[in-house]
Amino acid sequence: MRVDLLRRSFPFLFLVVLIAVFSGFSSRFLSFDNLMTVLEQGTVLLVAALGMTFIIMAGSIDISVGSIVGIAALVAAVTADRLGVWAIVPAVMVGAACGLVNGLLLACGKVPSFIATMGTMVVYRGFVLLFTRGAPVPIEDDGFMASYSGYSMGISHAVMVGLALALVAWVIINYTVFGREVRAIGGGERVSILTGIAVTRVKICMYVLLGALCGIAGLLQGARTMAASAQLGGGLELDVIAAVVVGGTPLTGGLGSIVNTMLGVLIITLLSNGMNMTGVDPYLQSIIKGLVLICAVFITIDRKKIGIIK
Amino acid sequence: MTLIAEHLNKRYGQTHAARDVSLTLRTGAVHAVVGENGAGKSTTLRMLAGAISPDNGEMTLDGVPYAPRSLVEATARGVALVHQEITINRVLSIAENIFMGNLRGYSRRFGVVKRKQMADAAQAVLDSIGVKISVTTNIERLNLGELKCVEIARAISSAPRTLLLDESTAYLDHREVDAVLNVLRQLKSQGMTIGFVSHHIHEVLAAADDLTILKDGQFVGSFKTAEMTPDEIHRLMVGRDFSQGTYPPRPPREIGDVPQAPVTLRVRDLAVGRELKGVSLEVRRGEILGIAGLKGAGAEALLAGIAGDEPLSSGAMQLAGRDYRPKNPRAGWQQGIAHMPGDRGNEGLIPEFSVLDNLIMARPPSRGPFFDRARARLLSEALIRQIGIRAEGPDAQCRSLSGGNMQKVLLGKCLAIGPELILLNNPTRGVDVGARVDIYRLIRQKAADGLSIILSSEDMPELIGMADHLIVLRRGVIAYEFSSMAGVEEHEVVRYMT
Repeated sequence: MRVDLLRRSFPFLFLVVLIAVFSGFSSRFLSFDNLMTVLEQGTVLLVAALGMTFIIMAGSIDISVGSIVGIAALVAAVTADRLGVWAIVPAVMVGAACGLVNGLLLACGKVPSFIATMGTMVVYRGFVLLFTRGAPVPIEDDGFMASYSGYSMGISHAVMVGLALALVAWVIINYTVFGREVRAIGGGERVSILTGIAVTRVKICMYVLLGALCGIAGLLQGARTMAASAQLGGGLELDVIAAVVVGGTPLTGGLGSIVNTMLGVLIITLLSNGMNMTGVDPYLQSIIKGLVLICAVFITIDRKKIGIIK
Repeated sequence: MTLIAEHLNKRYGQTHAARDVSLTLRTGAVHAVVGENGAGKSTTLRMLAGAISPDNGEMTLDGVPYAPRSLVEATARGVALVHQEITINRVLSIAENIFMGNLRGYSRRFGVVKRKQMADAAQAVLDSIGVKISVTTNIERLNLGELKCVEIARAISSAPRTLLLDESTAYLDHREVDAVLNVLRQLKSQGMTIGFVSHHIHEVLAAADDLTILKDGQFVGSFKTAEMTPDEIHRLMVGRDFSQGTYPPRPPREIGDVPQAPVTLRVRDLAVGRELKGVSLEVRRGEILGIAGLKGAGAEALLAGIAGDEPLSSGAMQLAGRDYRPKNPRAGWQQGIAHMPGDRGNEGLIPEFSVLDNLIMARPPSRGPFFDRARARLLSEALIRQIGIRAEGPDAQCRSLSGGNMQKVLLGKCLAIGPELILLNNPTRGVDVGARVDIYRLIRQKAADGLSIILSSEDMPELIGMADHLIVLRRGVIAYEFSSMAGVEEHEVVRYMT
């Protein structure tokens, strides 16, 4: 019982500790401007983490998200001058296609998700490197920039997109049959198969969903940096998985929620933001983030269900 | 070496797995331990082998007290165990499998393995027990019986004086069984003390000198096999009082008038996997068809084939007249066949989820893509009332329910889709008497409403009390069909199973 309580309150406790520590070190931490910046910094992470929530709830994983974000940003950059705002369409489609490949490998090829997405991570990044030859592709279309990195009424468009998507994801998980099926697969895959849930179809769909969301994330990131660089999105998978897990969704699957993920994204972003503000050495920041991830997994994982992550 | 056990007892929580068991394994004799499923045979053998410790009771080896705290200690004292499951590692060679517990004995400095020596020693062990396998054979080519012989060789390699085998012939066919029994005879002639657990009475009579019968965990008696007939053994294994009123009465049959309800499921020459070799049967509306059979006889494979969980090797099925060839369990559910698996924790329910979640899992009420939570709640509350599930409410976690109530939830999941046919696999396994009565009443009522039911069970009284017809499977085919259960006694059924 106590373990359960710890597992559920861990994200809140951690958030409180974070805020206390960093506001102690810097008076600017809790300012309105900084908090707005935090929201903007966290949007790309949030959009990707929304998709990752489904995957982890189903007991699988996807470490190719950073590369999908990179490919999507590239597609957006390349099509921006001809399609302007509508560059979002090819970005999402390419992202979804990458997700489809991941899903097929896992659900039909039965390649364990960790290995499959480790492979596609390298392949998708390879496409980006091949195309860009290492040189960034600038985005110059005004319409594009205004839509995806502009502001209305003081709030960034990107943040609005992120929150809207969070709402959509929340509805899907809590109010649709698909959401229940994702949860059931994570709770017991063998039971789900025997009870007639279309496990293969659900798995493919959730990877396509993640891919599409990464498409949007890539687009937003490209808009922020006004270019698609060869390494855009590199290492994002660490942050995304950390956000989902730190927010309280165990890697073993079955439990979790969008609110948890949003909390996790907030924590990870605040952590980075706070460390920057207090001048923590950038290399040390990576170490700290890694330790936070290990700690979070250690606390939240359901030890009765440990097996190889499918 | 003589192994004497006296008044062994073992409890697991509420369950008394073995009660007051005493037996003597004599030198150079084969001693069989028989009984139905759940009788306590494996428990007893594992206590002798050191795998588990008895709660009380004493054992001696040649007069010296014997209380091993582990299999390793037992082996050191000269008692070796061959497990029920196959414990062969198919990646390693035969020699490596035989010496798996003692690879260090065949290594030089720095851990390099003395391959030739190990191979020669392995071949010597195999030859000594009359097994005609060459150690150079690729292990993938061995059949189950030969693998069992390799496991016996492994047990022998520690030079024991007592060998214990736990249901080693469960999944073997005739020839493989003969091969294993030959090995046992050879060992016996070399003075080995042998104890083995088996379901198959004919094997027991063929190979054993002494016999201990267990029933429901209770020691019934020890006998010399030469003095027993199969019928006597069966009676002692299963004879028990029928508790009146546990099983609801069957609907009366008109005499002379052949009842002809329409056939729900027709199965022709079905073969599934390795176990089911060719079975034909029919289930009608309102009928409860019982399936009896030992482990490995094909009952599980039959249900898996009908449910769509395993592909058919051959044969065909028809559901309400249409061809039925399910590609996966989903197809089964969609066409109105509900499946209740035997392992409720791992295959039937998701224990962390609520009662509601589990009840509606097979067909969640929906409006388009959206889950209709209100309707789901109504449906689950209705099911809870109808079935009598004792839980705090639809949102109670299944893990917190008793075994009987979890089983009721499982049954509810099956009934929730309004099925034409339900496949029940041991529906009252691990369920208390009160819940059992409820479940039986519900099953009989649903049958009266027109539902077809296939009931596969290891619980003999349950099969006899509930089934309208009974099919007995043995080694993958139908051994006998009881078209009426009137006056049928347990030992008659068991006779065909073994």
